[in-house]
Formats: sequence, C-alpha cells, structure tokens
Amino acid sequence: MTILSVENLSIGYNTKKGLLTAVNNISFSLEHGRSLGFVGESGCGKTTIGMALMGLLPENAAILSGKIHFSGEDLSRFTEKQWRNIRGKEIAMIFQAAMNALNPVFRVGEQIAEAITTHNPDLSTDKVNDRLKTLFNMVEIPESRMSDFPHEYSGGMKQRAIIAMALACSPKLVVADEPTTALDVIVQDQILKEIKKIQKAMNMSLIFISHDIAVVAEVCENICVMYAGQIVEMGTKQEVFKSPKHPYTKTLLASYLSLDSDEDIFVPDMMETPDLTGINTGCRFSVNCNCKSKNCSKDAPGWIDLTSTHKAFCCEQGLGRKQS
Amino acid sequence: MRNQKFIFRKFIEIFTIFFIILTVLFFLFRLAPGDPVSKMVDPTLTPEDTQHMIEQLGLDKPAHIQYFIYVKNFFSGNLGRSFHYGEPVSTIIMDKLPCTVLLFTTSTLLAAFAGVFLGKIAAWSKGSGLDNFLSISALVCHTLFIPWFALLLLWILAYKVGWFPLGGIISPELWIDDASVFMKAIDVVHHMLLPLATLFFIHLGSYLLLMRSSMLSVLREDYIITARAKGLSEKVIRNKHAAKNAALPVITSVGLSLAFSINGGALTEQIFTWPGIGRELIFAVSNNDYPLAQACFLLIAAVVLIANLVVDLLYAYLDPRIRY
Amino acid sequence: MRKNHYIMRFQKGWKIFIKNPLGKTGLFILFVFLIMAFASFFVPHIGPMYDPMTGTDPNIKVSTYPSLSHWLGTDNVGRDLFAQLLEGAKVAFIVGLSSAFISIVIGTAIGMISGYAGGIIDILLMRIADIIMVMPSLVILLILASIFGQFNIWIIVFIIAILRWPAVSRIIRSQTLSLKHRPFIEASRVAGASNIRIIFRHIMPNVLPLAFLYMTFRVTSAILVEAALSFLGFGDPSQVSWGMMLQWVWKTGHMFQAPYWLIPPGVCISLLTLAFYMLGRAMDEVLDPRLRKEGQA
Repeated sequence: MTILSVENLSIGYNTKKGLLTAVNNISFSLEHGRSLGFVGESGCGKTTIGMALMGLLPENAAILSGKIHFSGEDLSRFTEKQWRNIRGKEIAMIFQAAMNALNPVFRVGEQIAEAITTHNPDLSTDKVNDRLKTLFNMVEIPESRMSDFPHEYSGGMKQRAIIAMALACSPKLVVADEPTTALDVIVQDQILKEIKKIQKAMNMSLIFISHDIAVVAEVCENICVMYAGQIVEMGTKQEVFKSPKHPYTKTLLASYLSLDSDEDIFVPDMMETPDLTGINTGCRFSVNCNCKSKNCSKDAPGWIDLTSTHKAFCCEQGLGRKQS
Repeated sequence: MRNQKFIFRKFIEIFTIFFIILTVLFFLFRLAPGDPVSKMVDPTLTPEDTQHMIEQLGLDKPAHIQYFIYVKNFFSGNLGRSFHYGEPVSTIIMDKLPCTVLLFTTSTLLAAFAGVFLGKIAAWSKGSGLDNFLSISALVCHTLFIPWFALLLLWILAYKVGWFPLGGIISPELWIDDASVFMKAIDVVHHMLLPLATLFFIHLGSYLLLMRSSMLSVLREDYIITARAKGLSEKVIRNKHAAKNAALPVITSVGLSLAFSINGGALTEQIFTWPGIGRELIFAVSNNDYPLAQACFLLIAAVVLIANLVVDLLYAYLDPRIRY
Repeated sequence: MRKNHYIMRFQKGWKIFIKNPLGKTGLFILFVFLIMAFASFFVPHIGPMYDPMTGTDPNIKVSTYPSLSHWLGTDNVGRDLFAQLLEGAKVAFIVGLSSAFISIVIGTAIGMISGYAGGIIDILLMRIADIIMVMPSLVILLILASIFGQFNIWIIVFIIAILRWPAVSRIIRSQTLSLKHRPFIEASRVAGASNIRIIFRHIMPNVLPLAFLYMTFRVTSAILVEAALSFLGFGDPSQVSWGMMLQWVWKTGHMFQAPYWLIPPGVCISLLTLAFYMLGRAMDEVLDPRLRKEGQA
C-alpha cells in the first residue's frame, strides 16, 4: 500500500539572485513499512524535500507545482492548521542532534512528554509517564536520565532523545534528516542499527536523508540519488550500488568504494556548481558530465527504465548504452 | 548541593567587594584637603562633646588605628551623627530605606514584566505597525532625560490638572487625623504614582528593546523548528519555548543596568521629594553633612551589591546551564 | 598597503551605514547639533547682551516668552535662552566626546593588556572592572563632591571616564583573546618582538574600530551623567550646560510658569542622546554581518 506519493514537485526559494529552484520536478513514492533514502551533496534539495513533507519550509520558500499525496490528502495544499494536526502525529521528523534541536531550558523528559500530550491532551500523567518510559527503553536511554537537561547529554544520547521525540505518537511516516552526521563512527553505527530495528518493530515508513551513501545503504531498501534538485537515479539498494547507471551516481560511488569494474569511471577533477535558477527541464548535471552528447541541458532527457524498479534520468549515451 | 556552594561563593564575593569600597572611601577621605575633624564632627557641638566625638571616631589617632576604628564603628552600627538632624545617622537612613526600596522594586518589577511582555509581542509581529510603534516608543522612552521627564509629568499632571500631589510620600493631614490603614495605603500609592510612572517608562524602553532583539534571535534557533515539528501551536511556541529563553538576557540586564536605575532613582526622589536614600544623599552633600552622605553612599553600595547577587541567583535558577 | 585596506573597509562600512534608517536619522540630528555648537562661538559677537552666562538685556528684568530679539525667550535675569541652548550644545559635545575618548583610551589599554597577559593580571583587572561597572556613577560623583568639594568641568569629565571604561575593556578583551592565537602574532613573538610591541603595534589596530563603535555609547552616558550632576547643582558653575539650564529653571521656581525655558534643554538632551544611540546601533550593523538585511554583502 502506497503511503506517500509525490508527483512533479517543484519547490523554489525567493532570493536576491532571483528564484532558485531547489527541487525541480521530482516524483517518487513510498510503500507502507518500507524505507527510502535520499542521497546527494549539500544543496541538492534533499533537506528541502524533508522540510516540505513536514510543512516546515522557511518563509521565502514555496511549492511551485506538484502534489504530495499522503493518506488520501494532498499536503501541498495544506493550511497551517491542518499541518499542526499531522505534524508529530502522522508524520514526524528526526533532526540532526548536532543542531540545537532540544530546548536548553527544559528537561529532556518534559520535551518528549510535550510531544505526547500535544496530540493526546486527555492522557493521564501516569499514562504519559508510561509512554515516556517505553520510548526511553526503545532508544536505550536509561530512565534515570529522563529529568536531565539537554546539555547534560552526550551527542549520541541527544540523537536518541530526538528519535524518541519523533516516535512519541507512533507516526506513520518518519523523515530522518542527517541524523548521524557529526556523530562518532561507532555511535553512528549504533544509531543506525537502532533506527533500523525500530522501523521494523513499529512497521514504520521511513525517509532517510543523508549525503553519505554508505549510511543510506545501511538503512534503506530503496535509494534516490539527487543532484541539483533533480532525482537522477532511483532503485533498490542493490541495483543502485551494484550497477549504478547515471554518471553522477558512478562518480559518487567512486569516491567511496572501489568498484571492480572494467568501465572507466570518470571522476571530474573539479565539479562546477550547478545553476539552480529557474525551472529547468534539462539535466543539471550535464555541465559536469563526460557524456559525448552535450544536448542534455536543453533537450530533456527522459526516464530510462533499466528494470522494473530501477530507472535513471539520462540519455542513452550518458548511460553508456549507445556509442555516440 | 552544588547550588549551595555557588551561593556561598557569591556571598563571600560581595562581602569582599563591599569591604574594598569601605576601605577606598576611607582613603579618599584621608586624601582630601581640609580638616577631617570639621568634616566628620558636627561643628555645633560643645568642645567637650567635640572631643568625645573625636575620640570615638579615632580622629586623633594614627591612620591605621583610625581605620580599624572606622571599620569597627561601621559594623557595630555606629555611623556617626548627622549635622543637620542632630541624630544618629543610622536611625535616619533606616527611616528612609523602606521608601526607596518600595519605589525601586515596584518600578523595576513592573517595567521588567511589561518590557518582557511587550517586547515579546513586538518581536512576534516584527515589521508590522504595532512593532514599529512599540519600538519607536521604546527608543524615545529609553533616551528621555529623567529630571526633565519628571518635571514635565509634575507640571502637567500635578500642577496643571491637579490629579496628583506635587511631592512627598503622604498627605500629613490624613495621617494626623488617624485615618484607616486602607486610606493611608491609598494615600501612599497616590503619592507614588508619578515617581513610579517616571521610573517605569524610562526603564520600560530598554527592557522592551532588549527583549525584542533577544526574542528575534531565539526565534531563529533550531529548537523552535523542533517545537513546530511536534505540532505545537504558534502561541505555545512563542510563550513557552521562545519567551523563556529570550527573557534570560533581560534579567541579566536588570542587574547590569542597576547602576543606571539607581542614578535615575536618586534623581526621581529628588524631584518628587520622595523621602528615600537617594534624596537624602543629595541633601547631605548639599549641606556638607558628611557623616550622613557617607552612610547613604555605603548603603546604596550595599544595596547595589545585594541586588546584583539576587539577579545572579535568579538567572542561575532560570538557566539550567549555569551551575558552578 | 594597510592604509588602503582601512579606506576600503571604511567605504564599505559607510555604504551599509548610510542605508540604515537609524544611521541616517542619527547622523542628521547630530549634524544639526554640531551646527548649533559651532554657532555658539559666534553668538557673543552679535552683542554682549547675548552672552549666555553674563549677558543681560537691559530692558528685561524677568523671564519672558520668546520674541523677535530673543528667540526662545529669556531667563529670570534677562539672559537669552537660545544663546544658552547653543552654548549647551557646545558643552555637551565637549563633555561627551572627551569623556568618551578618555574612556576608550583607558578601556582599550586595559582590555588589551588583560586579554593578552591572561592569568592573574587578567583576573584581577576584570574583577576591578566588574566592581566599577556596577557602581552608579552619579552616586559616586556625589560622594566625591562631598569629600572634595565642587568640581570643575574637566575633573567631572575625567571622573566619568574613569567610571565608564569597564564596558569598553570587556569588549576589547574578548577581541584580544581571539586575536592572541592568530599566526601573525605567533610569528611576531618568534621574531623576538617584545610583548608591549606586539600589543600596540599588532593587536591595537585590529581592536580600534570596535573601540570607536562603543565610544558612541560612552558619549551618551557621559552627557547624561553631566546633565544630571549639573541639574542637582553640583556641576561646574562656570559652564552653561543643558543640565545647568534645567537646574536654573527648577531652582528659580519657574518650571511651571516658563515652558519655553523648561522644554528646550530637556528635548535637546534627549535628542542628542537619541542621535548617538542610533549612530551606535547603525554601526553595530556595519560590524556584525548577521544583523544586515537581505541584499547587502
């Protein structure tokens, strides 16, 4: 059952340089209980998608076109009042702990309890405390730390607390935005395992955003690779990892893993920053692409289906399936 | 337990500082040109009484012995004899102290609460007509010259329309006739309103502006986004999550601007003939009543230090990150 | 090369400054007062009658309302009020700027030494700064007047400066702390430069802009304290300042009868204070990029 379906979504920011299309005409869907990862470098628009799914876009941003279907509603048309009903309850967000995501003057337990009572105002104090204890156990924070303040928590513990806060009302969909960035590698590993375990146990749908493809691969079943506001490739974890097709995906993977492949992987010495102004129907990677066909920026390449689950937004030459 | 050590340390600190001030004053007095005897001893006393006073104050002894006598006198409550009143200074200042404390604490508390409340509103409706009105009014209030503003109030509200008395703390007729406690209280309040208004408006300006800018920077913090993501209403976010953090710098500023408040308080007391310590000090200086002036000054210094301590403790109580 | 760098920074700062409405208004008001202050030099040349301190109109023996020959009217002995107002502007600037300047000199020196030396010197100096900072300046001036007698204007300026340097030194100290570990300082030390030389030749040029920014707040503080002191009757009796004018209107019992005498000095004090405050806030925006609005570099 599809829980989330995004169609032709474009989101723009009004800046002094004009309209920047941070998300350019993307479409994807998520099945109930499954996990989908968004990978890409900084500025590729993945965080913007995350924010849009929570209705937390900043003031100078706006949804330019497209639809976000969730549980039978179109979120792109939601009013602030409607958002308040589902934020935390149906869709929740796991923020980066490195951010100042917890209010320094309130105890951690209090803040998580607030997440519970906002949507369940009639719950008795005992019930709230029970739920709090369950949550703390789930994320493996000792109960004795419940009444501590955020500055008394370590980085890893803060991240767990934020996870607990997101799960407070057992939401249907959880969006995790770079939850393990800035954590030590070992702690990172623990948190990722934690998230996977919880997702399976609660049968939650998960969208996981990261710039680190290795991290995404550990947690998610399906992956979308993004560049400059566009999805350039999407498929199952195995497909994207074992047989990446889009030149950008290959470049990304080449920076991490050594692929035993007899293909010459082109890694440009210096990547040009993509131009995000205006709505573009062409491929924004073309300026850095090694492909012989240079028309992609204007002539819209299309989605090329590689398998039933795997597709890439490219031209035949780029994929290397055709000689120029 | 940690807190007690903190409080204890602070007490020692202010005690030391007060002692230093006491000592510095002594040295300055010794440095001054002129005859110390005529400064410290009432010139109208008989020669025998004068000699008695000289011995009591140790004016005939060498400097270091005099210092010990000075300190001893001070801590045993012997502050000398006022020239003008012919009474022990300690009785005089104990009489005046409550009036100053009453006026001072009431105006500071009212101004702080109003400033926090209005500053919060101004920040929340940033850029609107209301915000502009509040900000500009606050700016004007902040830069008013106290004596001038006080005189204006006196002129218009007391002299011209006669709504308020021209000064003093009570209408003596009422008290001689032994009116009810309630009537007496009303009388005092009636007399207090104009000086209170003066101090209130002057301080309101700076608290409002400070709260406003503090609130604006708090609203940019990440934990505000978290609060929104939990599904909290804007009202709760503003009043609970933002305001508590934003109010902290305002509380510190109450402490820092204490010097300014006391200057203003003394001027206000003078103009409204409010029988407080500030007015007494000015009176003593004008009349060359040095024992009285010295005592008033030391009392004000003590009040400043204690008030600072209270503010420090209050801040430590409210901000969980500060615990020594 | 260094001079060009400063000029460029100044020009860039100026562009940002002048766009700020607070900066523009503040500068404008300041300009008006400057003209008033300069005008005060010419006033006695118009006629001895107009001398703010000693000039009296032979035809006038009481306080009068504004007229053609006396634009703001006269005080109770026949002196021209407008001339007094101009003189007050001059005094305000002199007091404000010199007191602020001395404050800055002391505060910068102590701030730099404290920040650079660290350790016990730092702790001691900052403790002293803390103690001085919480003390109400007017009250201290009063007790000092009680001990030492009447002060002349320069002593007042100096004492205010001594009471006001702590705020400056704190800012300068933090700035020094952040500069202390920069490579170019290390390099100088390795090259054998003495500490004094490092402080004054290398650190000072970098903290000076900040020092001047905070000078604006010192100016307002100095003007207000001097005015208050004069108002209470403890100022320099040979100087006609706005505070002094208010004292006269109050002491001679004219405060309810002569609005033309009561209102202008107070308005001037408030406006001048406002102007410097606006200036300070606008400069804040120049120095702290986070406060700038969209569209500015």
